[in-house]
Amino acid sequence: MYRIRFHGRGGQGMKTASRILGSAFFQQGYEVQDAPRYGAERRGAPVFAYVRAARRTIQERGIILEPDLVIVADDSLVPMPAAGVLQGVTPRTVLLISSGETPETWRHRLNIAGPLLTLQAEAAAGAEQHFVGTALAGAAARLVGVITLLALEQAVQLELAGLGGETLSSNLDQALAAYELMAPQAGLVSEGEALAAAAYQRPDWVELPLDEADAAAAAIHAGATSVEVRTGLWRTLRPVIDYQRCNRCWWVCSEFCPDSAIRVNAEHFPEIDYDHCKGCLICVAQCPAHAISAIPESSEAQP
Amino acid sequence: MSDETITLYKHMKDLPSNRLLGTGTPMCAGCGGLLAIHQAYDILGEKTVFVNAAGCMTLLAVYPYTPFRGSWLYTSMASAPAGAQGVRDALDIQLARGRIKPEEDLQVVVLTGDGAAYGMGMSSTSSAIEHGLDFIYLCYDNEGYANTGQQSSPATPHGARTSTSTGPQGFGGHKKDLFAIWAAHRPAYVATVIATEPVDLARKIEKAKGLKGSRLIIALSPCPTGWDFDPRETVEIGRLAVKTGMWPLKEYENGKVTHTRVPPKRAPVEEYLEKQGRFAHLFHPRRNEAMLAEIQARVDDYWAGVEADHG
Ligand SMILES: Cc1ncc(C[n+]2csc(CCOP(=O)(O)OP(=O)(O)O)c2C)c(N)n1
Ligand code: SF4
Ligand code: SF4
Ligand code: SF4
Ligand SMILES: [Mg+2]
Repeated sequence: MYRIRFHGRGGQGMKTASRILGSAFFQQGYEVQDAPRYGAERRGAPVFAYVRAARRTIQERGIILEPDLVIVADDSLVPMPAAGVLQGVTPRTVLLISSGETPETWRHRLNIAGPLLTLQAEAAAGAEQHFVGTALAGAAARLVGVITLLALEQAVQLELAGLGGETLSSNLDQALAAYELMAPQAGLVSEGEALAAAAYQRPDWVELPLDEADAAAAAIHAGATSVEVRTGLWRTLRPVIDYQRCNRCWWVCSEFCPDSAIRVNAEHFPEIDYDHCKGCLICVAQCPAHAISAIPESSEAQP
Repeated sequence: MSDETITLYKHMKDLPSNRLLGTGTPMCAGCGGLLAIHQAYDILGEKTVFVNAAGCMTLLAVYPYTPFRGSWLYTSMASAPAGAQGVRDALDIQLARGRIKPEEDLQVVVLTGDGAAYGMGMSSTSSAIEHGLDFIYLCYDNEGYANTGQQSSPATPHGARTSTSTGPQGFGGHKKDLFAIWAAHRPAYVATVIATEPVDLARKIEKAKGLKGSRLIIALSPCPTGWDFDPRETVEIGRLAVKTGMWPLKEYENGKVTHTRVPPKRAPVEEYLEKQGRFAHLFHPRRNEAMLAEIQARVDDYWAGVEADHG
């Protein structure tokens, strides 16, 4: 059975990617499962989707713990524990990272010996819906080696039919180009073993004791508990304040930050709360003194 | 707003700089609805209980996390005002029995999207106003059913693409005039606001807070996900909604409607439309002159009516 996981951010089309790959497997006569996993979080939050494909009935359910192929649409997710990109990766797992950096750099950085590829996947240009996921689904189809170009094409047509015209054709181009690009690695991904019930690992969650019904109503007994959620993980670009330029303009940035992530300190200077800033960059766009700039989250030049 | 109004908020520097709404909410980066709610909450204060109908903002309080300092209640889409009636009645009974002191009383605030306010929840809102329910209704209007994937709602503007209006003409209907419908009930107060005019918003929330009875506020809330624009543009797009006259800022009180910000020289509506992917089909592959002219004409008619009224 093939077990494949796609990791990305909400809005990058991971759900669509898993559907396209699942559909392509289906065209080849496989039994398929595909499902996205995300919580209440929105665009920008880490999400993943997975595909299982086998020649016989699939009995497994739930998230994939031992993937044969892991595909990452956004390389800033790789080092983030909460994104779980490296969860269950073994020496035979193939990693495909959409990144401008070389496979050697990533292998060194992650201290990984197994097969690792990079591909600079682009969102389909000129399309109304900009999915990098479509290109990655095309790459995955070639890496498993059992999906023909025709099956991939049909799968993209089928899954994106609703988008129509230009959007469909530019996404199709991206998928087919990535499929071609991966030709030298065709069949690099192999099917994993069937899992035995004896090898079942309990998920690492925290067991909560069951309360009496009258005490167990879902009431929250404190204010602003949401601060425990680190939405700073959603950020791909980081706003940085240049305090030489900031003229403490009565905190336009703080007023317009939707996420209450800019506070004003005792000296009346604004301070960004990077644990929670989602990187929308409204503050960058609105600062009258142009004192806030955006730098890539992965940049070495971070303060 | 009349000059004699006593207000704490005359300039940006009068606005609170401490933030009541907690960080770490699951809303999209750049959410215009969240922006309006954080500004309103700073003025409403901690002694507020929110009654929230199904929509994006229901996800604000996902157990065990909440960004609010106080209570929050979830209701079905159509019945937030009915929920508010229950909360108000409970508070009144507690007050009457001396179980809570008058200074411990809470402001009951209904929070819903436009799908609830302009559509499904209209009947229960109408009844609440009819009964003189003492509450504030805050509608964040993102012009569609955003939580379920931006389907059209009765607040969707003419020509916009939504997931249920994907054709070359976009949404065929016209945005319902909820302000007029609410004002026709002659409640204590009705206002439109936008977070990109924070002083105007603060003064209106302040005024609503100081009144009794039904007070209803609609906040146009640019939604990067549903309207398809870069999240950093949320504030700029909100400003353009006001500058082009697409979103009139006004209030109703004592039978009278007053415009609180009249754009001195209105920018053409296309400056607002062209920044949003949901209107891209009006510009590409070729300009839909007829539709653009139609949208402009509606805005011009509206303001011609305002000028006629004000003499
Ligand atoms: C009676 C009913 N119908 C449908 C739904 C599904 N539903 C949940 S949220 C939502 C959209 C609400 O739209 P709106 O009020 O504008 O809020 P937004 O999602 O835009 O924040 C819908 C249709 C529901 N909860 N209840
Ligand atoms: S908006 Fe710019 S100038 Fe004003 S307080 Fe923020 S950083 Fe300083
Ligand atoms: S980028 Fe700026 S405005 Fe956006 S969440 Fe971060 S601090 Fe707030
Ligand atoms: S879909 Fe729109 S309204 Fe809903 S959370 Fe996202 S930006 Fe806000
Ligand atoms: Mg809505």
